[in-house]
Amino acid sequence: MEIIKATGIHKTYNPDKIPVHALRGVDLGIEKGEFTAIVGPSGSGKTTLLNIIGGLDTPDKGSIIINNTDISSFKDNEMINFRRDNIGFVFQAYNLIPVLTAKENVEFVMVLQNRNLKERTERAEELLNAVDLGDKMDKRPSELSGGQQQRVAVARALASNPTFVLADEPTANLDSTTTANLLDMMLELNQKEKMTFVFSTHDQRVIDRARRVITLVDGKIV
Amino acid sequence: MKMILSIAWRNIWRNKTRSWVVIGSILVGIWSILFMLSFSYGLITTYVDNTIRYQSSHIQIHNPDWKEDQEVEFTLENTESVLQYINNQSYQSSATQRTLVNGMVRSSRGARGAMIKGIHSEKEGQVSHIDQKIVEGKYFTENKKNEIIIAQKLAERLKLKIRKKLVLQFQNAQGDIVAGSFRIIGLFSTANTLYDESFVMIKQTDLNRLLVLPNASHEIAVFLDDSKELAQVKSDIQNQFPHLLIEDYKEISPDANLYESQMEVSHRIFITIFMLALIFGIINTMLMAVLERNKELGMLMALGMNKTRVFFMIVFETLMLGIIALPFGLILSWLSITYFGKHGVDLSAFSDGMEQFGMSTLIKSYIPTELYFSLSTATVFTALLASIYPAIKAINLKPIEAMRKI
Ligand SMILES: Nc1ncnc2c1ncn2[C@@H]1O[C@H](COP(=O)(O)OP(=O)(O)OP(=O)(O)O)[C@@H](O)[C@H]1O
Ligand SMILES: [Mg+2]
Repeated sequence: MEIIKATGIHKTYNPDKIPVHALRGVDLGIEKGEFTAIVGPSGSGKTTLLNIIGGLDTPDKGSIIINNTDISSFKDNEMINFRRDNIGFVFQAYNLIPVLTAKENVEFVMVLQNRNLKERTERAEELLNAVDLGDKMDKRPSELSGGQQQRVAVARALASNPTFVLADEPTANLDSTTTANLLDMMLELNQKEKMTFVFSTHDQRVIDRARRVITLVDGKIV
Repeated sequence: MKMILSIAWRNIWRNKTRSWVVIGSILVGIWSILFMLSFSYGLITTYVDNTIRYQSSHIQIHNPDWKEDQEVEFTLENTESVLQYINNQSYQSSATQRTLVNGMVRSSRGARGAMIKGIHSEKEGQVSHIDQKIVEGKYFTENKKNEIIIAQKLAERLKLKIRKKLVLQFQNAQGDIVAGSFRIIGLFSTANTLYDESFVMIKQTDLNRLLVLPNASHEIAVFLDDSKELAQVKSDIQNQFPHLLIEDYKEISPDANLYESQMEVSHRIFITIFMLALIFGIINTMLMAVLERNKELGMLMALGMNKTRVFFMIVFETLMLGIIALPFGLILSWLSITYFGKHGVDLSAFSDGMEQFGMSTLIKSYIPTELYFSLSTATVFTALLASIYPAIKAINLKPIEAMRKI
C-alpha cells in the first residue's frame, strides 16, 4: 500500500516576476517501509518536493494523498496537527529546541500530542538509547556535537509514531564517520521499527545505502 | 500547557541581559510611578486632613437660611438637642456650637473685615484643635470677659501685639451697630494663613451678650475620630433633623473636594502614560526576541506546535517578565514610600507660596493600599497588551520561509 501518493505536482516560484519552475509534473508513490533517497543536482527541486510532501508548502497543481487523506484542502492549524501526528521531520540544521535537553526535545512532539508522562518518558528513553545517546539525555543541544544533534532529531522524528520520516539533507553538515553512523542508525530504525524514511542528499555514500533512489532533474523525475 | 510554560520560562533566560533590562525598566517604571503618586497623595491628603482638622471639621450644621445670607437672626433652634443626639451616638466624635457674625476688627492703626466666631472655649479645642495652634500667648482662660484670640498674620496687619486691645464692631439682631473692646490673649497660626486671617475668636457668652441673643448659635461643627463613618453619621443626623442644613467637609470646602477628585484624574493620567511607555518598550523587546528566533519558531510549527500554543508561548514570555518585575517594584516602592512617609521631604526651599494656601512644605509620601493592587493589575494588563503584537507576528510566520532565511 502506498502511504504517500503524489500526482502531477507543479510548483512555480515567483509566478509574476521571474518565474522559477521548481517542479514540473512530479508523480511519486512511496510504500510503507521504504528507505528512499531523492537525489539530483542543486536546484533540481528536492527541497521543494519534500516540503510539499511534508505539508510545509502547497503545490500549484497536483494532489498529495497521505494515508488516504488529501492534504491539499487543510487549513493552517489542521495542517499543523496533521504534521504533528503523521510526519517526522529531520532538517538540515536548526532542528532542536535550544532550551530543552535531548530527552525533552524528543518528548516535545509527544507533549504536543497530549500523551501521558510515563509513555513519553519511556519512549524518549527507548529512542535515545536506540540512537546511542542514552548517556546524553540531559544535555542541551549546545552541549552536543553536530552528529549527536542530528541523532536526537532522528529520535524525535520517530517519537510521535509518524507515518513516515522526511529528512532534507540530514547529513549535509556532518563529516563522513558521523554520516555513516547516522545512516546506520536510520537503517536500523527502518528495519526494527518498520519506519519509512524519505530523504534528500547529495552525498554519494548516502545514495549507496539507500534502497531506492529517485532522481530529480529540473523539476522532473528521471 | 506546562511544557509551554517551561519553554517560555527558559526562553526568557536565553538572553539574560535583555530580559534583565526589560525587567529593570518595568521595575523602575513601577517604582517611579508609585513614588511620584505617593507624594501627590501625601500632599493632597495632608491638605485635606488639615482642612478637616483645623477648618471645616467633618460636618457642619446650619440653619438653611443662614447659608444663603449670613444674617444674625438665622440661628439654630435646637442646638442643645442636636448636640445631645450626636453625643449619644455610638461613634466617637466631638461637637461644638458657635455664634457667628460678620464685622470689623479695628485697631488704632487700621481695620479689617472678619468673621467673628463666638465659641465654647473647651469644646472648640476638641473640634477645631485651635488650642494646639497658639503660637504666642495662651488659649482662653475660664471666666475672664472680653478676651480675643486672633491670627498672628492679622495681628501683624493691624500692627497689634499680644495683650493689646482692639475693637469689634457689628450689627446686632435689632440692626443696631454695637461695638466691644477686647484684649488679645493669644495669637494662632495654622498651615493656611489666608483662612486664619478671615476670622477672630471670642467666647460665645461675650458675643451673645453683645448681640442680645442669649442662647443663640449659628453653627454646630462635628469632628469624627474615624473619617470612614462620615457618610453614615451625616445621613443619621439628617434623618433625625430633616429641617437643618447638614454639610460635610467636601461641601463646606469645595477646594478639598476639588483636590481630591483632581488627584484621581491626574493619577489615572499618570498611570496611562506609564502603561503607554511600558507597552512600547516591551513590544520592541519582544519583537526582537521573536524575529531573532524566526527559524526556531518555524521549526516548532513544522513539528506540529499549533498557532494557539505558539501564541501563548510568546504571551507567557512577556507576562513572566512583568510578573518577575512586579514584586521587586512593589517592595522597592513600599520601602521608599514608608521611609519618606516617616521622614517626609522638605520642600520649603522651593515653595514659598505653598504655605499660604494651606499646603504643608514637609511632604510625607503616602499611598492607599488599593493603589498597589491597581498598579499591579495595570502592569500585568500592560504586559498582556504588549505581548499581543509580537505573538501575532510569531504565528504569522510561515514555517518554510522562516526556516529558509539565514
Ligand atoms: N522561495 C523560493 N523563491 C524562489 N525560488 C525558489 C524558492 N525556493 C526554491 N527556489 C528555486 O527553486 C528551484 C528548486 O529549489 P530547491 O531548493 O527545491 O532545490 P534543491 O534540489 O533542494 O537544491 P539544493 O540541492 O541546492 O538544496 C531552485 O531553482 C531554487 O532557486
Ligand atoms: Mg535543498
